[in-house]
Formats: sequence, structure tokens, C-alpha cells
Amino acid sequence: MNVYLREMKAHRIGLMWWCLGMIALVSSGMAKYAAYETAGGSITAIFDALPKAVLVVFGMQGFDLTKASGFFGVLFLYIAVMAAIHAALLGAGLISKEERDRTSEFLYAKPISRGTALTAKFLAGLTNVVVLNIATALSSVYFVDYFSKGAPVGNEITLLMVGLLFLQLIFFSMSALVAGVVKRPKAAPSIATSIMFLTFLIAYLVNMSEKLDFLKYVTPFKYFDALTLLTDGKLDPLYVGMSVLIVASSVVGTYRFYNARDLTV
Amino acid sequence: MNAIETTKLTKYYGKSRGIVDVDLTVEQGEIFGFIGPNGAGKSTTIRTLLGLIHPTSGSATIFGKDITKDGPRIREDVGYLPSEVFYYDDMRAIDLLKYSASFYKKDPKTIEKRIRDLAELLDLDLKKKIDDLSYGNKKKVGIIQGLAHEPKLIILDEPTGGLDPLIQQQFFNLLREENAKGATILFSSHILSEVQRLCDRVAIIKDGTIIKVEQIKTLLENSTKRFTLEMVTAPDASRFKIEGVSDFQMTARSASFLFRGRINDVTRILAELDLTDLLVEEPDLEEIFLHYYEKDDSQ
Amino acid sequence: MNVFLRELTAYRKSTIIWAASLSGIILIFMALYPAFTTDITATKHILSQLPVALRTALNISLANFFTLYGFFGYLLGFAMLAASIQAMNLGVGIIAKEVSGKTADFLLSKPISRATVVTSKLAAVLVTLLVTNVVFWTVSYFAAMAVSKEPFEAGTFFLLLSTLLLVQLIFLALGTLFAVLLPKVKSVVSVSLPTVFTFYIIGAIGDVLENDSVRYVSPFRFYDTNYIITNVSLEGRYLAVEAALIVVTVTLAYVIYLKKDVRSST
Repeated sequence: MNVYLREMKAHRIGLMWWCLGMIALVSSGMAKYAAYETAGGSITAIFDALPKAVLVVFGMQGFDLTKASGFFGVLFLYIAVMAAIHAALLGAGLISKEERDRTSEFLYAKPISRGTALTAKFLAGLTNVVVLNIATALSSVYFVDYFSKGAPVGNEITLLMVGLLFLQLIFFSMSALVAGVVKRPKAAPSIATSIMFLTFLIAYLVNMSEKLDFLKYVTPFKYFDALTLLTDGKLDPLYVGMSVLIVASSVVGTYRFYNARDLTV
Repeated sequence: MNAIETTKLTKYYGKSRGIVDVDLTVEQGEIFGFIGPNGAGKSTTIRTLLGLIHPTSGSATIFGKDITKDGPRIREDVGYLPSEVFYYDDMRAIDLLKYSASFYKKDPKTIEKRIRDLAELLDLDLKKKIDDLSYGNKKKVGIIQGLAHEPKLIILDEPTGGLDPLIQQQFFNLLREENAKGATILFSSHILSEVQRLCDRVAIIKDGTIIKVEQIKTLLENSTKRFTLEMVTAPDASRFKIEGVSDFQMTARSASFLFRGRINDVTRILAELDLTDLLVEEPDLEEIFLHYYEKDDSQ
Repeated sequence: MNVFLRELTAYRKSTIIWAASLSGIILIFMALYPAFTTDITATKHILSQLPVALRTALNISLANFFTLYGFFGYLLGFAMLAASIQAMNLGVGIIAKEVSGKTADFLLSKPISRATVVTSKLAAVLVTLLVTNVVFWTVSYFAAMAVSKEPFEAGTFFLLLSTLLLVQLIFLALGTLFAVLLPKVKSVVSVSLPTVFTFYIIGAIGDVLENDSVRYVSPFRFYDTNYIITNVSLEGRYLAVEAALIVVTVTLAYVIYLKKDVRSST
């Protein structure tokens, strides 16, 4: 489809930089792992004895830092945040750019329905998100394996990356919805990323205090929490279900609202 | 079947009125003008017809199809040139035009040939990036993307802004050619002379409502011109007292008056005079609208 | 003066939102301070068993960490992240709008020099940041008063708070430079968000081990909580680095901007 190809071309260079950035993040993060390795197993016991809130300060509650995959779990939060930023900016940008750049009078005066254009944009966004995920996954597998001296890490990384993909899709679709609803195109990415940042903060709060545990349903970062995933070894069906629900309703909502409102000129 | 038919088309932006109860009929094959002051509702009407904004109430059809239900199908046959043109800056002109062509069911090769012909006619370098084009050149891109697929209905919203007079001429010739081939044209403008040159009929819109729909001929007849004469010797004043003359003033060697009616009636009188100089001034837009506002208020 | 005032009013709404958000962050986190301080003695004892090397690497100072300052210094990091986004948004926005925005043609054809335009806008942005900081500092102080069981030194506290403004200034300067270097900025947020987060992550990862070299790279690491608490002052070295950075960046931004062609808005 022409709109799909055009969007893919337009995002080419940006996607490349983001992939490179992710690779840099993973590689430099894992490079720090060396120091932990030398300290050995005694650390885990010590850390386990600390109050939860304190551990959160170091972002390392519960992880077995002597294993490369455990360390990667700590790194995962940062990976997730960067991927979330990418997804949010992508989702909001794809939908709002026509009105922001005033090309809507060109595109939507063509024999194309808004829905068709949205579909093409969603597909292009999906492609971008998946490519970033694959780049992250491949570099993660490579670097974790490199530093873990042979211990098999493939399964754990894959699990985390699947979780990451869900996370990306959630923020992508939610941000698209924001852009579909909001009439001022320049406001859309700000609102979308603010929501994302807020959920990130809430995730931190949940980590810090048991009393706030109920908030974990509000923030997607806790649906696919590295520690939980590594401990359980699988995805929680409840969270997967919630993710699917969020993504589906956001997508449907985007179509609904974007079709019904006037295009800002 | 009419090209465009609107029935009580209304659009409110929140509380402020866009257009109210607009009833328009544009017949196939005509060049229909749409004039009015800024903010009258011309763009609102056009954007509603194209589906860029949704009507608050009322309905419209283009070639018999409902604009709310059959948008994409309608736009296969429509070419649109907006008043302000914005395109994707990173593309070259030819890329954008090919992208535009890709939306239509017509054979892309045919459209591409037409693109190149039009570009040559309008003197546009297709290889340049949109970003590097002057405003006028961007407008040319706009013209081409509106015409290349040979649409049955061409909608133009203040199209000549930014075009030099030569290109304007070519543009109008293009439009006439398309019209001769059977295309309907809806031409919105606040420049009366352009509308006069091109259109068969015209609708006048003010404050969101249609005041009048009229043949151009009638409009011209009804427009007032100011005549200023310099003469060798002044004749008797009664010579000028024909129907349509007003505000008549005369001195020893000059005379001036306003005239509304058939021009030939005046030129016949002038031909018999010994003139040294003659000035005929077109009414400006304000005079025209003043006329219509007066007429409206007095009715 | 007119440009200054206009910009100030234009930023009003966003300033309120930012000040409120930053205050909100602080209030929520401060409310967790009690949970953090449960059984400090036991925690300190446990941490003392960590190898010294690791403790240094993790930057755990047993003396400072469990004080109000230590905790506040930690959560200030979050607020600093958000505040830096605000600052960089503003910085990028100043120039981006005047390079290729629709107002560029308007403003720059007035009898006013480009330098004056930028300076006025910069001044407006500084006032905006100051206002935000005043609100933030006030809220933080009262929150600290409310949750802290022991009295604390206002001096140290405000010194910690000042680092927020200092880091903001760096990102403000960086934002102006980015804006003159990038050909067309369609969305300010898509420039500032990834940049700020990247520096934050560099700081966080680098923080875990190998303190010093990273400290020069990431603005978030310029000012060390422990040092401030212990010495009740900021490290002169980093203040100098910051000052130099800001001067160079902003000067460069001015120079480039004054030479640049202004693209028309069409």
C-alpha cells in the first residue's frame, strides 16, 4: 500500500538510530557486568536481607546479580523505558503528523478513507516496533551470552523480549489513541509521553512500597516486570490478557475518534 | 445528475457559525464560481464537501453519492487544490506527484505522462525537493496533483495566490481545456475579476449563508462602472441622461458619472462626442458587495 | 522587552503544569520516606557487610544514605529527569520556532536583531525555570518538614535542591544548540525526550561502577549527593565544567543561529 510504504520510508533513518541506540545501551550495560561477576555469590545473600525500599534505590531488588541474565534484568527497565519512549512518540507522531504538517488537506482529499490511512499507519508503526524489538533481542542475546561465559540465556532473554514487545504495543496504541482524540496535533506527543512517564513513575512507587502494590495494575511496566518474568519463567496470562485488551480497545478507539472528528487545519 | 447538490448544509464550530443552510446546485460541465469576503464560509463549504470536516446538519451529494457515506468513492473523480499548499518536505516534486497518482484507480502511467506534460507547461522542475520550492512553485505542484488524474470535478479554493500572471493565464487555459472536455469546476475566490473571467454562474456567500446565485452575465450587467471624460467642448448635459446613469457631474470640459446597465448604451453616446480622454474604472469588490448588502437589507 | 513578555505569557500554562507535576512527584515520594527508614540500624549493619569496593561502586555512604538528605537526593534524581525534559523542551523551542516556524518571517522582519530575539526568549525561559524552581523548592521544603522525624539543615537541603536548577540550565543550553544544528524540528518532544533519557541512563549505568569519568559525561552525575551532604557545598570542579559547558554551548548556538538562513514558513 502506498501510504504504508511512504511511512516506512519516512521513518527509515530514525529507526536506524534508535536500533543503534538500543544496541549501545545493551552492550555498555552488559559491559558493566564484569565487576559484579568477580564479587561472587555472597552479594545475593546480603542484598536479599535489605529492606525492599532500599533495594529499589539501586534498582536491583531480587535480581541474582552474579548471573548475566540477572544483571540483564536490572538493565531491562532502562531498555523498556527507551522502547516505551520510541513507541509513544511513534504512535502519537504517525497519527498527528498529517495535521501537524498540514498535509491532511492533501492526503485526506485523495480517494482514501481515514480508516484505510490509519490501517497503513498502524502497520508501519507495528513494523517499526517489531524491528526495534528484534534489534534489541538480538543484541541482548549476543551480549548477555558473551558475558555469561556459556551459561544458556536464550530462553530468559526471549521471555523478556516478548514482554517488551507487549509493552511497546501498549504504548504505541495508547499514544495513537491520544493523537486520534486530541485536536491539537502538537499536544499529542506531549500528552502521550506524559502518560508513559507517569506509568513509569508509578512502577517505581509500586516497587518501593508494598502498600502501593494495588497500583501495579495501572502501569504496564509492572505487567512485564523483569524480576517477575525471570522468577516465574513465564508470562502472566492475566497481564497478557490485559495487554491485549488495552491494545485492542486503543486501536478501535483511534479509528472511532479519528473518523468522527473534524481534521484540524 | 448534478455534479454537486447540497441541501441545508450547516456547520458550526462549537458555537461559532461556519455555514448555515447552504443550498447549492452545481451542474455538470459548468464552471461555478463561489465568491465572498474572508471568513464567509467558502473554505468551510469546500472542506465539508471533501469530508475533511463533518457537517453539523444537512446533506450533500457529489455526482449523486452522499458525501458522508461515499467519501473515498467520490474523491476518485475529484481534484482539489487548497488555498495553502503543504506537502511532505522530504519528497521531490515528482515523488509527491507519483504518490498522489497512486491513490487513484486510473492507470498510473497515463497519470504520470499527464504530470510531466503539465510540469512542462507550468515550468516546474520536478526533480526539486518540495522543501526547496518557492510558494508559487509549490502551488504548481498543487495544480498538477489536482489535475493529473483528469477528474470529473475540480475544486479550487483561492487557487491563484502566489502565481505570477503568466502562470495564472496558463492555469486558466488549463481549466478551460478541462472544462471543454467535460469537467465541472467549482472555483472559490475573493478576487472578482478572476471569477468573472472564468465562470458561468456564481454564488455569493456572506456570513455563512448564500446571498445570491447568479449568471455571470447578469452580475456584469449589474456592476457599476465609473466613467470620467475629457472633452473638447462639453455638450448638453441632457445627452447623458439615460437609464443607468447616476452621480452625474460636469464642468466646462469634463464629465463623470456612474453607469450600470448595458455598456453599449453608453458607448453609443460617447462615440458621438469629441473626446480627448476617457477613463473607465472597474468597480472594486467593496462596491459590488456594498451593492449586494444594500439589496439584501432593503428586501 | 515585548518579546520577553509575550513569551512569558505563552509559557504560563505549561509552567503551571510542570510545577504542579514536579511538586506531585516530590510529595508522592516523600510520603514513602517512612517505609524507607524502617529499621535503619539493621539495614546499615547489613550493608556494612558488603565489600568496600562494591559499596564505593554503588556509592553507598553508610553515614549519609539513610538521612533525609540521602533519600531526598535519590528521589531528586527523578524530579531532575522530568525537570530536565522541561528545560530542554524550552531550549529547543526557543530556536526551533524562530528557525522555521510560521512566526519566523513575522518576528525577524521587525526592527529587532536576531540576537535580541533569542536573548529575550532565553530570559523568558530563565524566568519560567526560576518560577518552577521556587514552587518546587517550597513544596519540597514543607514536605520534608512534614515527614522528617529529626530536624535537618535547611542549608544542605537547599543546596541539594539547587542541583535541579543547575542541571536544568545545562539541558536548556543543550537544547538551544540542538535546535540550531537540526534542520527542521517538527516535534520538540521527540528531540528532548530521547536526549534527556539517554544522558540519564548513561549516568545511571555508569554510576553503578566507575564513578569519575562518567561524571563528566552525564549532567545528572555532575553533583554528587554524598559530597553535598558531607561538605555542605558543591564541587567547584563540576560547577566550572557546567559553567564552561553552558557558555560554550550557548555562544555556539548564538553564532550559528545568527549566520543561519531563515527558512520561510511556506
